Amino acid sequence: MQNVLSILFCLSLFYLAVTSRVKAYVSVLQFQGILLTVLIVFPFIKHFSVFALILPATLFIIKVILIPRYINRIIINLDIKRTIDPTIQQFTFLLLIIFSMTLIFTTSNILSNSTDIETIPFASGFSAIVVGIFVIIFRKKLIIHVAGFLVLENGIFLFGTAVVSELPMMIEIGVLLDVFVVVFLMGIALNRISSTLSGFEVTSLDRLKD
Amino acid sequence: MELITTIKGIISLLVILGLAPVFSGLVNKLKAIFTGKIGAPILQPYYDLKRLLKKETINSGSSSFISNISPAINLVVVIIAAAILPIGFARPMISFDGDIILFAYLLGLARFFQILAAMDIGSSFEGMGAAREAAFSVFAEPIFFFTLGSIAFISGLTSIYDIYHSISLDNVSYIVFIIVCSISVFILAVSECSRMPVDDPNTHLELTMIHEVMILDNSGIDLFLYQYSSYIKLFIYAMLETSFFYPFGVKSYTVGIIIFIVVITALSMALAIVETITSRFKMKNIPQYLLFATAIGVLNLLIYTFTK
Repeated sequence: MQNVLSILFCLSLFYLAVTSRVKAYVSVLQFQGILLTVLIVFPFIKHFSVFALILPATLFIIKVILIPRYINRIIINLDIKRTIDPTIQQFTFLLLIIFSMTLIFTTSNILSNSTDIETIPFASGFSAIVVGIFVIIFRKKLIIHVAGFLVLENGIFLFGTAVVSELPMMIEIGVLLDVFVVVFLMGIALNRISSTLSGFEVTSLDRLKD
Repeated sequence: MELITTIKGIISLLVILGLAPVFSGLVNKLKAIFTGKIGAPILQPYYDLKRLLKKETINSGSSSFISNISPAINLVVVIIAAAILPIGFARPMISFDGDIILFAYLLGLARFFQILAAMDIGSSFEGMGAAREAAFSVFAEPIFFFTLGSIAFISGLTSIYDIYHSISLDNVSYIVFIIVCSISVFILAVSECSRMPVDDPNTHLELTMIHEVMILDNSGIDLFLYQYSSYIKLFIYAMLETSFFYPFGVKSYTVGIIIFIVVITALSMALAIVETITSRFKMKNIPQYLLFATAIGVLNLLIYTFTK
């Protein structure tokens, strides 16, 4: 089951590489949030406890409801155009992702020989981290950078579930809170930037001075 | 027993040859219904073919023997490819180890001759269409090899019939695998048969066409052969897609046939819906659309290589 969810996770990463709409990024984030929630809930089906449901519930509320809503509101308030303005062609971007994914899968297979990790979730999480970084590097819009950061964070989460079978829950909730605060701060920053500069692109930040 | 298998194989091939135009007609009819039109009757492709048979064949003055032989080669090669695919659990007429490669390259040969014939005519429009077809098929070929190749790799078999029948459903991952594979085969079918997001079969504006522009100067029996082979080609890809769903039936001949009919109808519905809700891509976006399907194939291969 973990493998199945990881495959779907990887598919969403591919979709992220070819889509050219800001809205699609938000839906992918939502989809990934749902996948991660199911991933955490799944082991608890056999031995159910209310306490175990706190983390999935928090995850669901933050990743599937709060953050996407907040990003959508920023998109509407700041009147951000719907295309993502890539700096390289989508085709090259997708090729880059395919090659790095192949590399990551091969490497994690080698790693899994010596350590006790689940290859597929581990590699999927790792790929998400790399794709998140690529999204931040190769896109101009600031709001997409926020999305890239969140993909990276999702990757770390999946990575964590692959490495340790049971995560200390308080730490995970703390991380979630951090992410929420970061997205919140980025939103405020975007609002500020929009009142000073007309564009929401990295290129226009060159003009900023003290 | 041997005789019955052979007869079943022959019947399968005859079904493909007979039903191929119906499938195209069904897709067009559904598409018309979804867009609020009445549409041409489902049997319209047959009427078209009959009309073409009566017409006279005229070839361009600058064309050579390639233009004469290419339509016939195209049809024959596509029919041979159709004989490799199974319907239900009947063993197809041609089935041997390694026929997966033969299947891919038979379709490649058909495309090659079509491109040659298009350039042979000497019109710049046909040349443009040929160039596009060649360019996009470069991206379409890896989809086939990564998708079917990954199942071949997992099962360790190289015959299409054997590969499909080795898929077992006792593992949950295989169900996802089937769904994922069928997505990439669907994209392959759309691009190879020049359906909507890649090419619009109904436009007759030369600058936007890919497949249709190559057969602009053909008429009469030549056009009949091209049209018929394109109907069969669409049906072949539909069957390739259908084959992923056979493992859901218990291995009996009747259930296989029922699955075949249900999935083919569902697929025509899916094609019609996709053609209704999407518009044609810009030319520069097509490679990335095809690469997306290849990426799915690569992912399949990676996952099933490294699953312990």
